[in-house]
Amino acid sequence: MDRMGLLLFSVIGVAVLVLMTRVLGFSRRPQLVDAALAARLVADALPGFRAADTALSRDGSGALVAGQDGRIALVRPFGDRFVVRALDGPIVARAGGLLRVRPDEAMFPETALDLGEAAALRWAGRL
Amino acid sequence: MTLPAVTVQDIISADPVAIAIPVFVICIIAELLAVRMGWRGHYDWRDTGTSLAMGLGNTISGALLAGTVTGLALWLWQHRLFDIPVAWWSFALCFVVDDFAYYWIHRAGHRVRLAWAAHVIHHSSQHYNLSTALRQTWTGLFGLTFIIKLPLFLIGFPLELVAFCGGLNLVYQFWIHTEVVGRMPRWFETVMNTPSHHRVHHGTNPRYLDRNYAGVFIVWDRLFGTFEPERADDPPRYGIVRNLGTFNPLWVACHEWVGIARDLARARSLKAAWLAIAAPPGAASGETAEILRAQWQAENTPLSIPAE
Repeated sequence: MDRMGLLLFSVIGVAVLVLMTRVLGFSRRPQLVDAALAARLVADALPGFRAADTALSRDGSGALVAGQDGRIALVRPFGDRFVVRALDGPIVARAGGLLRVRPDEAMFPETALDLGEAAALRWAGRL
Repeated sequence: MTLPAVTVQDIISADPVAIAIPVFVICIIAELLAVRMGWRGHYDWRDTGTSLAMGLGNTISGALLAGTVTGLALWLWQHRLFDIPVAWWSFALCFVVDDFAYYWIHRAGHRVRLAWAAHVIHHSSQHYNLSTALRQTWTGLFGLTFIIKLPLFLIGFPLELVAFCGGLNLVYQFWIHTEVVGRMPRWFETVMNTPSHHRVHHGTNPRYLDRNYAGVFIVWDRLFGTFEPERADDPPRYGIVRNLGTFNPLWVACHEWVGIARDLARARSLKAAWLAIAAPPGAASGETAEILRAQWQAENTPLSIPAE
């Protein structure tokens, strides 16, 4: 088999394995079931962080967690896991109860949090 | 009928990684099914897709860039100190020496940011399964850690012998990327790198950061003070200190290089530029392994009240 043939064979092999992983059900979307989970995820990711206040998206897909030291962290899903970022000058947009947050970081996606009007307004002000 | 005699030279002319690839695929399928049936472990199709794409890209970049190192190695071997023949004893010696070099290459890969920019790819998954083993760098050459292996050629180990041993080392490391295997027998855990030891290496828990650099023999970590056993009360949280927010293989491959470029652009002195390249990862943001570990230890050490 020549090199291009080998490359094509490898690409097909990768595609089959990925498809098999999906077909076997490894495609879960994670849920933030409560504020305590969000706080724990942030504490694990940011040493020294102690949660003081949490805003959980109504669909459990993300959260904002404020620390006792004034830092605010974003928790958002990533595959079947979560990813956490300390927010420093994020891009924030609010539409009613929906708060859109994007950290100042290349390739980090925007997160839409359904917080309800009052909470969205309050957290937009904090960010 | 007599079988042709197989010499060590015949054996080392093979590429162990190429031969092992079908076995890798079968093992990943077996692990997927085992995890589906409830064995310990986790998979996510997007994560697996990225890992396998990184593995495929690694073979392509390796084929494109290998000539550079091979040329340098050949030149050094031409100025070798000893004539080491290809034989069973030299194979065994080379395997151990190559693994010793791997320990330092790997350690440098975690302690020097330039090298980390190439190696971080392997740690960028929040999962730990056999597909993670194939999540390999596209930019290994630019991390410059291959320099650590060059003395082997100057000593006199033939190129094909070192390449064969390096390939075997990589093949060995495949099976230790799993949660399905708990602990191996005690004697094995003492001498060899195992799934348990390597889970620690992939952990971001402060206790586990920059520990267990071994390739095949864990004895190097025990000798040089970098060994940390896995603890049931502190299960590893896999990934990197600042986990990525995208599965895009291009960004996975180059994100730390972009970070270095950004820090170099901001550097206002030669010292700052040097630190951006050569200091341990996280030095600029105060998130080195030492700082994070010290912070964690301070938070978790009970205050002792002096007796009156």
